[in-house]
Amino acid sequence: MNRSVVIAVVLGGCGQEIDPDWQLDHDRVIAVRATPPRIASGEVAELDALLGHKGQPPSDVDPDTAEVVSPASLAGTLTRPSAHWTVTAPGDDQLAAARNELGLEAGAPVPLRLRVKFAGTGLSALKIVWLGAHADNPVIDPVTIDGMDGLAVAQLTVPAGVDVPLVVEFDTSYNINWLTSCGTMHDFDLAKAHLRVEPTDPHAGSLAIVVRDALGGVAWRLWPITAR
Amino acid sequence: MLGSSADMHRVGRALVAIAAVWLISEGVAIAQPAVPGVPPPPATPTSPATPTSPPITVTGRVIDAQGHPIRGAQVKLESSSAQVTTDVGGRFTIEAPVGTTLVVTSDRHGIALANVTGPELEDIVQLPEIRSEKIELRGEAPIAAAGAAQLDRNDIQRMPGTGGDAVRALTAMPGVVNLQIPLGYSGVVIRGSSPQDSKVLIDDFEVPLLFHPLGIRAIIPTESIESLTFIPGGFDVAYGRSSSGIVQLTTRPGGETRSTQAEVSLIDGGLIAQGPLGKHTRYMLALRRSVIDFVLPLVIPSSVDLSLTTVPQYWDEQLRIDHELSSRWNLSLSSVGTDDIFELFTTKDEDARSKRFFSQTRFIRLTGAAKYHDGEWQASLALSGMLSELDAEIGLYQRLDLKTPLVTPRAVVTRAMPEAFGLKDVVWSAGAEAQIGYSSVDLAIPLERREGEPFPAYDPKDTASTFKGSVWFPDFAAWTSVAATFDPRIRVTLGARADYFGRPRELVVQPRSEIQLKLTDTLSSRFGAGIYRRPPEFQSEFLDKSVKSERSQQLTTGLEYTPIRGVRLQGTLYYTDRTALITHNVDGTLNNNGRGTSKGAELLAMIHGGSWFGWLGYSYSNSVRVDEPGGPTRLFDYDQPHSLNVAASWKHGRWQLGSRFSLYSGLPYTPVVGAEFDSDRNLHLPTPGDVNSARAPIHHELDIRVDYAWKWGPAAMLAYLDIQNVYLNRSIVTYFYSYDYSQKSAFESLPLIPSAGLRAVL
Repeated sequence: MNRSVVIAVVLGGCGQEIDPDWQLDHDRVIAVRATPPRIASGEVAELDALLGHKGQPPSDVDPDTAEVVSPASLAGTLTRPSAHWTVTAPGDDQLAAARNELGLEAGAPVPLRLRVKFAGTGLSALKIVWLGAHADNPVIDPVTIDGMDGLAVAQLTVPAGVDVPLVVEFDTSYNINWLTSCGTMHDFDLAKAHLRVEPTDPHAGSLAIVVRDALGGVAWRLWPITAR
Repeated sequence: MLGSSADMHRVGRALVAIAAVWLISEGVAIAQPAVPGVPPPPATPTSPATPTSPPITVTGRVIDAQGHPIRGAQVKLESSSAQVTTDVGGRFTIEAPVGTTLVVTSDRHGIALANVTGPELEDIVQLPEIRSEKIELRGEAPIAAAGAAQLDRNDIQRMPGTGGDAVRALTAMPGVVNLQIPLGYSGVVIRGSSPQDSKVLIDDFEVPLLFHPLGIRAIIPTESIESLTFIPGGFDVAYGRSSSGIVQLTTRPGGETRSTQAEVSLIDGGLIAQGPLGKHTRYMLALRRSVIDFVLPLVIPSSVDLSLTTVPQYWDEQLRIDHELSSRWNLSLSSVGTDDIFELFTTKDEDARSKRFFSQTRFIRLTGAAKYHDGEWQASLALSGMLSELDAEIGLYQRLDLKTPLVTPRAVVTRAMPEAFGLKDVVWSAGAEAQIGYSSVDLAIPLERREGEPFPAYDPKDTASTFKGSVWFPDFAAWTSVAATFDPRIRVTLGARADYFGRPRELVVQPRSEIQLKLTDTLSSRFGAGIYRRPPEFQSEFLDKSVKSERSQQLTTGLEYTPIRGVRLQGTLYYTDRTALITHNVDGTLNNNGRGTSKGAELLAMIHGGSWFGWLGYSYSNSVRVDEPGGPTRLFDYDQPHSLNVAASWKHGRWQLGSRFSLYSGLPYTPVVGAEFDSDRNLHLPTPGDVNSARAPIHHELDIRVDYAWKWGPAAMLAYLDIQNVYLNRSIVTYFYSYDYSQKSAFESLPLIPSAGLRAVL
């Protein structure tokens, strides 16, 4: 956080409202996922993404286009054999050449930098798939919403006008984002957040949790939510 | 240029007329110059009391025609041999019956007389000696330059719109960049350059910061300041390490009578004690603590996700002891220190370390000085040491810990000769200074943003710049100058300064010169030219030995017009060529490839007329730069084409009323034209447009200040109310973008900034 921003926040306020980071009611790329995020030679990773939409619930979609940004020598690892874009980790020789191209040490995982685009939205995103070693995406379990097991419910109903606690079990090495289009999210980037729906807020929308780990892994969960 | 001179004369005549009305209506022409060699006329009692009335304690101040206090003037009763000497602020205290006449003399001014009408006299104005044709003060090396200005404590206190803070009076100076919110505590921005290009000196020595957190209070309270000198450029060889301007604060020496005063406002509260310690020693001790850390949490809505654990808390102290060792030697010991701490969590959960912002900045500077004066010779020897520490932590990963002990010996010798080598009033000066410091550094922060670079997306895990170790920076400087009058109307100053910056192993020589022409008795002009250097010591510059100092060549010319006592107009034109500006390479390392220019014009009018104080400052400025050879030309971040400040203050009885109108251009900014989402870092990477290709709108505001003084038992009380932006003009300071840069929000100035305080003096 920039010192001047802190000072500005303390001294005054913004003139107009802008959407906060946690706002789901906004056209945006929320996350791009490779499953798995790290692959050893011969393994295949599949790409998908979570998009937010203004006036509509978020959706889990496949990118319309994808391209390799770097290293150029591994452009052939990205293909679309079916509905999904996939990355296939090449053999050791190609990985060694890529390490040489990127100036990496021998044996180091090779970052395959991708740019994905989504037709009709103007949205694009960068994503890295790591080649040369295997790792899986994190698993969001457990997740507790207003004291309930979030994984056990498909539709959430929460009380309005009170703080609704949201809890996941991840330490601070994980990047956590709670997002909603219903009410106001507090501490949206902490494992323990809370949602509050005031009378003037929309009383129906979506709730999402997105978790990223330090190895490039990402996971998310989505719920329709109603406040009463 | 002829046109501006003519315009200045027209403005001057108008101001003279206005000032003359004030002076006549207020009857403040207490002092009149006497013809040299003619004894002063007999006293003419003007009050019902007679000279045989019992003596009372009388206080007053002696100033020159420009309103500057005169130090060392002798004040005596006409019929008595007992006399007192004015202090640095021109003040004196003497026992005298009402109705008697005081005779004021000094070695550079004509005799002035003043009638004792009560315990507090209006300012006594001493005009230059009539027989004198000298331009510069004899016996002192010149310190100011064209465009420079000086305010003493009384002037500062009368400036509305400062919230009662002395250093914020700087914003009224032509050449100082204005902004609706304080520019932070790195200092002031002068003539469109960068904050780090100018130096802030307290009693001749650098201090690392000028403002407490939030920038709403200077680190030294008004009551501890004797005078504030602002030199926007063209300063002489005694000052260095700056490629732009100098702000010089002089601490207040203790007075000849003991007093204690307390002051409290919504921002802070403090105590000042000062007075004599025996016959030859005087002291001043001041201590202040913030109270805003008690007030601010009460005004921030509970719904905001902030936990203000320490917001913002500061202490500062000033100590000064002056001792007259003999008629030739004066000793002084002074100290300036501050301790600022600021901590907040952008959450209600104070266990969430990832949302913590912590900053502590503190320093203490201790200076011992000896001054010698014997006939033509003057010498000043000083040894100053400073300990400073900056400790900042942002979230879980970013930190900055910098500890620096610094020692600075400084010696200056001056010889002032009435005649030498066929020239008149020859002043030769030489000096040397070392600044030897040792910094221990532990940092893990993002790559620093430099001038003109877009603000990067905030990534709490970004620690692209890491360093842990220590750095020596032994810097040395020596200088000499000579000033002489060739003709009664022409005075020339030539000087050279050499700096050796130890870290980059760089020796730089900086010649500087000035010609002063006295065109008429009331109009003079100055032409200055010189080379200036700023060592690489800002942000991470001192970690890279290959980075050299930044260089500027300054050309300044100005006119000074002093038509009558208390009225002063000055107009200045300047051109600064900046080279070797430090910029980033593509890989984040530093180079000296930047260059740029600043040019502009400034006008300053000051009027001191008895109960009136008036001020008009206007500046036009244009500052552009190129960051690499062949690169595009762009504006400096702080380019502000227009800045106007008009202020007036009127004192009547117990009341003092003041008002100030400000109008200035908004600052340039770089618009963001797009962004791309980086999914792994969970942030949007902005695509900047052309650097500083957009500009915030013009801002204008009216500030008012009301002071009321009264006696409460033995205490002299003063209450003040200072309100900035009384007609609630909310203008745009800058813009903030949403997290994905798809939305832009104007950050507006506060609608009203009230400041109130109460002072008691015992």
